[in-house]
Amino acid sequence: MPDKKTPKLDELEHGPWPSFVTEIKKAAVRNESAKDLLNLLERSYDDKRGHWKHGGIVGVRGYGGGVIGRYTDLPEEYPHVAEFHTMRVNAPSAWFYKTETLRTLCDIWEKHGSGLTNVHGSTGDLIFLGMKTEELQTTYDELSDAGFDLGGSGSCLRSPSCCVGPARCESACYDTLDVCYDLTSSYQDELHRPMWPYKFKFKMSGCANDCVAAIARADCSIIGTWRDSIRIDQDQVKAYAESGLDIQGMVCDKCPTRALKYDHEKKELHVIAEDCSRCMHCINVMPKAVRPGKEKGATILLGGKSTIVQSAFLSWVIVPFMKMEPPYTELKEMVAKIWDWWDENGKTRERLGELIYRMGMTKFLREVGLPPVPQMVFRPRANPYVFWPQDEIVK
Amino acid sequence: MSKIDGGPPDYKKLLPPIITENYGQWKYHEIPRAGVLKHVSEKGDTLYSVRVGSPRLVSIDYIRDICALADSYCDGYLRFTSRNNVEFLVSDEGKVEPLIKELEAKGYPIGGVGNALSNIVHTQGWVHCHTPATDASGIVKAVMDDLYEYFGRTDLPAKLKVAMACCLNMCGAVHCSDVAILGVHRTPPRVDHEKIRKGTEIPTLVAACPTGAIRPDPKNKSVVVNEERCMYCGNCYTMSPAMEILDAKNDGIAILVGGKVSNARTAPSFSRLVIPFLPNNPPRWPEVTAAVRHIVETWLNNARKGERVGEWIERIGWERFFSLTEIPFTDKHIDDFIFSRETFRTTAAFKY
Amino acid sequence: MEKGPANPEVKEKVLAYLDTVEKAKSKEIAAKISVPKADVDLAVKELAMEDKVEYLYITTTFVALKGKVKPPQ
Repeated sequence: MPDKKTPKLDELEHGPWPSFVTEIKKAAVRNESAKDLLNLLERSYDDKRGHWKHGGIVGVRGYGGGVIGRYTDLPEEYPHVAEFHTMRVNAPSAWFYKTETLRTLCDIWEKHGSGLTNVHGSTGDLIFLGMKTEELQTTYDELSDAGFDLGGSGSCLRSPSCCVGPARCESACYDTLDVCYDLTSSYQDELHRPMWPYKFKFKMSGCANDCVAAIARADCSIIGTWRDSIRIDQDQVKAYAESGLDIQGMVCDKCPTRALKYDHEKKELHVIAEDCSRCMHCINVMPKAVRPGKEKGATILLGGKSTIVQSAFLSWVIVPFMKMEPPYTELKEMVAKIWDWWDENGKTRERLGELIYRMGMTKFLREVGLPPVPQMVFRPRANPYVFWPQDEIVK
Repeated sequence: MSKIDGGPPDYKKLLPPIITENYGQWKYHEIPRAGVLKHVSEKGDTLYSVRVGSPRLVSIDYIRDICALADSYCDGYLRFTSRNNVEFLVSDEGKVEPLIKELEAKGYPIGGVGNALSNIVHTQGWVHCHTPATDASGIVKAVMDDLYEYFGRTDLPAKLKVAMACCLNMCGAVHCSDVAILGVHRTPPRVDHEKIRKGTEIPTLVAACPTGAIRPDPKNKSVVVNEERCMYCGNCYTMSPAMEILDAKNDGIAILVGGKVSNARTAPSFSRLVIPFLPNNPPRWPEVTAAVRHIVETWLNNARKGERVGEWIERIGWERFFSLTEIPFTDKHIDDFIFSRETFRTTAAFKY
Repeated sequence: MEKGPANPEVKEKVLAYLDTVEKAKSKEIAAKISVPKADVDLAVKELAMEDKVEYLYITTTFVALKGKVKPPQ
């Protein structure tokens, strides 16, 4: 087949940022599907519309997800993308790889698909982008034999993902990589065989900087924190002061709870421990001088999600502090109760946060057996409309 | 038959030795130059991470190329970040400069660390999504080309995180970004009654609508859409190709600003709508790149050191943001969805 | 987490119910055949391995008899 012209996409090969068009063209040298993808995309640039249909039918044996069906709506003109499915490959915790691991994936993908990938998709999975239905099972079998597995898609547990954590960050307050791997391994049924009202996401961040945006996009956000006080190294404070850092202006004045006092004379920084809200600001500015406390764990928050249906929610606090030590029994027991409650009460396509909002936070807490604490709210209710339980009413 | 439920590869077997040896024992980090992190452990080991922006949609040739680099400079270990960057993990300080030289020679952008523009996280767009209102990769390429200089800097007022989602399902947490570029549909689905009659299960289609805007129409063996209730999510189109949501004449881009996920200083917050609509103008979306640059430059010129976009705007006030940027404020900016009241100003104190 | 083998009677009931509909969510199957949902989930898992049912993702995940729902035209 003669190559079609793609003048609009060619324009996107110019400029300093690496070009996805160049990447598609590299794959197109060896693969007809990649070539048709390029041509179909040029068509979209002409038509100003997408040309894909959804199809939820494809998959591999034993799995209810991990594959997203895609078909072009112009199969006659672009026959090599008539079927162009996505496969989600569950990535290792914090996306650490050996080159040989990545090469194995490349070799499998070169044989069975377009040669195009997303490293990584928003879910955190490594995405094989574009394959025919007939290749799905073989590709899976080779992945499985090489020690890989599929990620989640559909109304299931989605692939948990985590920040770089203790592997390379001094702020990590718990082992995000291990929690991610442990939960992924423990919940294979929930990950691979969708059985719920809708999707459910775990994301683990080692501190309140939240480098994987857990609070914005996970139904259960596990964010590292500490219970005692930050630790300050006064020698390092002096070193920062001597290097020219405006400690009063950039650290103390920006502390949201005004919990830091700087002594200009002595070049010493002191914290009013009970006023500190553990936001990470001072630690971010002076990582050599200020560190998290020693009594570390995580805050568990629930309900985060994007806009559809009831608006975007940020996760809110459910457990202010939980020790995070293997085998994470406390977390798992709580999660089991929450999943049961959601599964029992949730409407189809209702995320956990929306369900709690619809049924009421107090009802949720009562039914899953969590104690109400002031850390759960910014401020208490302003209305007096308490739904009093019958057993608290004098009869 | 291959086994199922093997789970992902064990991360412990994929960590470079320097990380295994210093796991949980990192003491502090520095940013010796743009795009490079230097981590020092309690026992004095030093690890350099050189961060490179990728287009996210990459070929296996690209992956093999970065693997070759990681073999040469990092003993065969590398990682990726949540924002589509590659991180080369260099334990030998002497290899940092040669690696950087080779990366620069090959055109790999080094940056995105500290107070810099980080790589744009984005969705599939016209490349592979079925309900997109725009492309994602193309706009990201155009915006990153335009803002390229800020990726390799470390002297911005604060971090700058830009995100792009191709429809208002807002996949990928774009709703908490300093600048969010969002594909928007503006017209309700157009019902192809013939297609519906051919094979759509009507009760499932009706149930798919989150706002209850789709009703059965038994007389026509089809459905009707209450257009006033439609929020253009495209769920019905997912259920049935007879519900055409794509509209080349009306689909386009909205810009939201001022969100963040970090708890540092201020609570995590949503991005807010500042430009309700810009046209789809491929391949380079000049209206979008100009709008993003204008907002970023206004922030650069006006923010105090340490202020993320949202912190800057909250300090000066949104009314001042609109006057400083000269972005027209319209009825589209005022929320009329379900949680709108909290955005109304219930004080007589404000600026002009 | 080992859950043991599924109850063969539940598997039969699931197949019989799915025969009467195009597709269903497992919660709905559980309600219709009066069996705890966890048992239905387990039965569906085995039936999927046996190629008798399959999962469909169409805005949410459903279960159907294998091959009953066709890919888009």
